[in-house]
Amino acid sequence: MRPLTDDETKVLFEKLAKYIARNIIHLIDRPDEPYCFRLQKDRVYYVSESNMRRATAIGRKNLVSLGICFGKFTKTGKFRLHITALQYLAQYAKYKVWIKPNGEMPFLYGNHVVKAHIGRVTEDIPEHQGVVIYNMADVPLGFGVSARSTVDMRKVDPTGIAVFHQADNGEYLREEDALF
Amino acid sequence: MDVSGILAEHESRSKAIQVDRLIPVEHDLGVLASFDINMLDETKLRAGQKVRDNYLKEVSREGAQILINELFSLPTTTDDDSVYASLPKTTTVLPREKPIPKEKPMTRWEKFAKIKGIQNRKKSRMVFDENQGEWRPRYGYKGVNNDDQKPWLVEVPANADPDKDQFQARREEKKERINKNQRRQQRNLEEGAMSEKRKHPQQMRKRELQKALVLSKSSTASMGKFDEKLEGEPKIKGLKRKFDPLVAAAGKEKSKNMDILSRVAKGDTSATVLNVRKAQRAINNSKRTKK
Repeated sequence: MRPLTDDETKVLFEKLAKYIARNIIHLIDRPDEPYCFRLQKDRVYYVSESNMRRATAIGRKNLVSLGICFGKFTKTGKFRLHITALQYLAQYAKYKVWIKPNGEMPFLYGNHVVKAHIGRVTEDIPEHQGVVIYNMADVPLGFGVSARSTVDMRKVDPTGIAVFHQADNGEYLREEDALF
Repeated sequence: MDVSGILAEHESRSKAIQVDRLIPVEHDLGVLASFDINMLDETKLRAGQKVRDNYLKEVSREGAQILINELFSLPTTTDDDSVYASLPKTTTVLPREKPIPKEKPMTRWEKFAKIKGIQNRKKSRMVFDENQGEWRPRYGYKGVNNDDQKPWLVEVPANADPDKDQFQARREEKKERINKNQRRQQRNLEEGAMSEKRKHPQQMRKRELQKALVLSKSSTASMGKFDEKLEGEPKIKGLKRKFDPLVAAAGKEKSKNMDILSRVAKGDTSATVLNVRKAQRAINNSKRTKK
């Protein structure tokens, strides 16, 4: 376990900024307790400082997980968000997509979101922007990247892809062994 | 007969020998030069061309007069038809064109000889060869020191291999001596160059050797990973990555994160955050290739 270096922090923030923009500030500057990002075996964990201090008692080899895993750094130095980060992304998301009940299951099985399944969309989503996906009951299901801007989406036929799949709640089952 | 009238008339025709200057004129008679630092009369210089020309002529004549007066005060020798003044040594210091040559660094032998107080004795180049009854050079072409190279007979030492060519052995011995001397010359040159830079020659040589070793070992396809380790091989010390302390002072990490966040929000993508690994690699590479 170690703190992130400057460039790692930069890469992480750039990725998070695609989903929650300036709301990253609420992750860093919390009113309740100081939280921090820690790197352990390439994975980035978002953890309260008190928990982090407790975790220092555990050796690097033995420490499996702490706090909430936000994702991991690939070998090429890019950052990949994991579904476990969804609770914070959903809380601070800037761009949201709600999908109809008939589109929930296809998405939770790891497919892209087609236009026909979209119930509601935030206005003015740009192209290739991170979006968080909810069902109509406002339960966050996962997140993805917008395939079209909101304006262009109207022109697409119903089977056209609206949101590229990134992560969904189904991964808790599908990727159970690799996720944590 | 009164000649004073004639003298006065003669004197009035010629210019005055005695010249007065407010500041005494300096001379360097060795190069027949005199330096007059008195001010020129500015009103006369600006008065008009004729006045000015006359004035300048007068000044230069007086200057020449002073110099000639000085020359006549020098000790002279007289010849049949002329008088010679012997000039003193020149006093003007001219700046040197080239820098003063540096003192050559001492060789090991010179240092040793200095400590021991060994003086160089001049040896004559030619020595008398009693066998041949003539003078021959001490070394070089037809030198006496080559004699042992071409004896007509060489005794085989008692414990030596009888099949060994003793003539060949002598030749090789000499070659070895020459090589040894050349190595020492090279060493003296290197040590001299090092001591000019005020560095310890032995340590520098050791360091250079280690550098060459590291470079040659890392020049394989595997960067020396599978090479055999040598005894006493220097360990390569690169820059170590340093991470922030796991538990930082309160608020320090937060402010750092805020700083990075503000830069990310501004859209500064590349230049602002230093890529430490890349920088380290660059530094290491430059260190390795330097010197």
